[in-house]
Amino acid sequence: MSSGSLSLSGVEVKYGSRTILNVKNLQIPSGTFVGIIGTNGAGKTTLLKACCGLIKPARGTIKFGQKNLAGLSLWNKSNLRKRIGYIPQATEYNSELPFTLREVVAMGRISAKPLLTRLKKQDYRIVDDWINKLGLAGLSNQTFRTLSGGEQQKTLIARAMAQQPTILMLDEPCSNLDFNWKYQITEIIDRLYRQTNITVLMVSHDTNLLPSSCSRIVLLHEGNLLADGDTDNVFASEALEMAYGCRIEMLNVGGRRYAVNKKQPQEP
Amino acid sequence: MDSYFYLVIIAGLIAGASTGLLGVYIVGMRIPFIGTCISHAAMAGFIYGSFLTFRSASLTAISPVLGGIAASVIAALSLTAIRPDKPRMDTNVGLAIVFCLMLGLTFLGIGLNQGSRAEMLGLLWGNILFTDRSGTITIAVTALVLVLFSYIFSKEMKVLLFSRSIAAATGIHERFVYGLFLILCGVTLAVNLPLVGGLMIFSLVTCPAAAAYRICTGHKSVVITATVFGMLSALIGFLLSFYLNLPTGACIVIVSAIIFAMSAAYRAIRNGAD
Repeated sequence: MSSGSLSLSGVEVKYGSRTILNVKNLQIPSGTFVGIIGTNGAGKTTLLKACCGLIKPARGTIKFGQKNLAGLSLWNKSNLRKRIGYIPQATEYNSELPFTLREVVAMGRISAKPLLTRLKKQDYRIVDDWINKLGLAGLSNQTFRTLSGGEQQKTLIARAMAQQPTILMLDEPCSNLDFNWKYQITEIIDRLYRQTNITVLMVSHDTNLLPSSCSRIVLLHEGNLLADGDTDNVFASEALEMAYGCRIEMLNVGGRRYAVNKKQPQEP
Repeated sequence: MDSYFYLVIIAGLIAGASTGLLGVYIVGMRIPFIGTCISHAAMAGFIYGSFLTFRSASLTAISPVLGGIAASVIAALSLTAIRPDKPRMDTNVGLAIVFCLMLGLTFLGIGLNQGSRAEMLGLLWGNILFTDRSGTITIAVTALVLVLFSYIFSKEMKVLLFSRSIAAATGIHERFVYGLFLILCGVTLAVNLPLVGGLMIFSLVTCPAAAAYRICTGHKSVVITATVFGMLSALIGFLLSFYLNLPTGACIVIVSAIIFAMSAAYRAIRNGAD
């Protein structure tokens, strides 16, 4: 079983001549919940994609546990990724196909199976287990395209968890959802993390969507690591205001933190 | 009826089934244009393949077909250069560029080969009535390989259809399976081309699968329905053309479009009733 730790050093991702991500050093120990925040275009998704091997960095090394991603053949790289639960942004999956909810969740078992084999009863037990855990049992045979945005997101989370991942990577899991669904999805991710203690990397441009178990924040700004540390420290730092380009006030409501744009005093 | 009549029907059923099945993946990945693109590559391959025949008599019948298959596979595999993670270019734009190049090569080939223009242009339309035993066996073997592929890699292809990003990120051998699919796509379209023609192959790849996606639930049912719709298009189209004395290709295309329209209507009525 591969470890859930992740280590990046000197990683640089370029589009043409433009550097869009430059991370000198980022160490994520196994079992950490890391929130990756920053403004639109800060390089959050790029960082996530580089971590799961979808984007090849121009230079630098990315290690899973002890294994260097770049040193592996394409085949072995695929094998290493079997334990990455990845939930992409909504634009990256085809929700129009008539797959049933259960079929989509069962896709999570597919990477664990070698080529030429089929899913077994045991795989479907894991699948149905996650469907139940996320409260989707009644919708199991509905087609994915008829589900609401929030239900689709839950399905994708169940799919990722059915992989029994050591690292869960979520890219803006709450975008396009209303505030109640945003809250529900955040709570689910929080619960999953507390129950399984896997490594979680969650990208969010909205700092308020990170669950309370998110103990560490990586703040990106124009592709650079502007801050990296305990959630409280990063939220209290000036780096956050610098990255978002506004004065920020932290509110504490019932144990949940909210960053809001501080109202400037009106000129008389 | 004579045995030739049945041979045409069998060839039509096989062509319909394999293009219908192929269509499940092509339509699911939203790249229907790959049908025209690859069939033009095959045309270019056939034409340059027949140049070779002209120069060495030993390759007489085989080289045009091999040329067609080779060109189709190369054209299909050129799409692997467009990665899901670097969407600098949409696959359809890539297809359009390869299509233009292939069309250019085709007409260049026709221009250079003064001999039999009619025969070359015949590839564009195809003619199921010109089928023979060996041609039927070729498409039957290819269809069998395609069915095996969709059975063996059904679980991987499912994820690829849903999201190539998820497939690649979560350790499915996405490049391997996608590459294999494209090769098979090239071969299937190339061997069916002389029979079905470039324009008709486009409709047989698109309509039955699109119709199946409208009315089915679950991947397996889409695969089976699209294959059956493909066969039905070919069969009904051929019988109509035979008894009403109409052009075969045109009838098959129209029947496939009608099957799609009926499926879309069925879904609209069903959803309305809910």
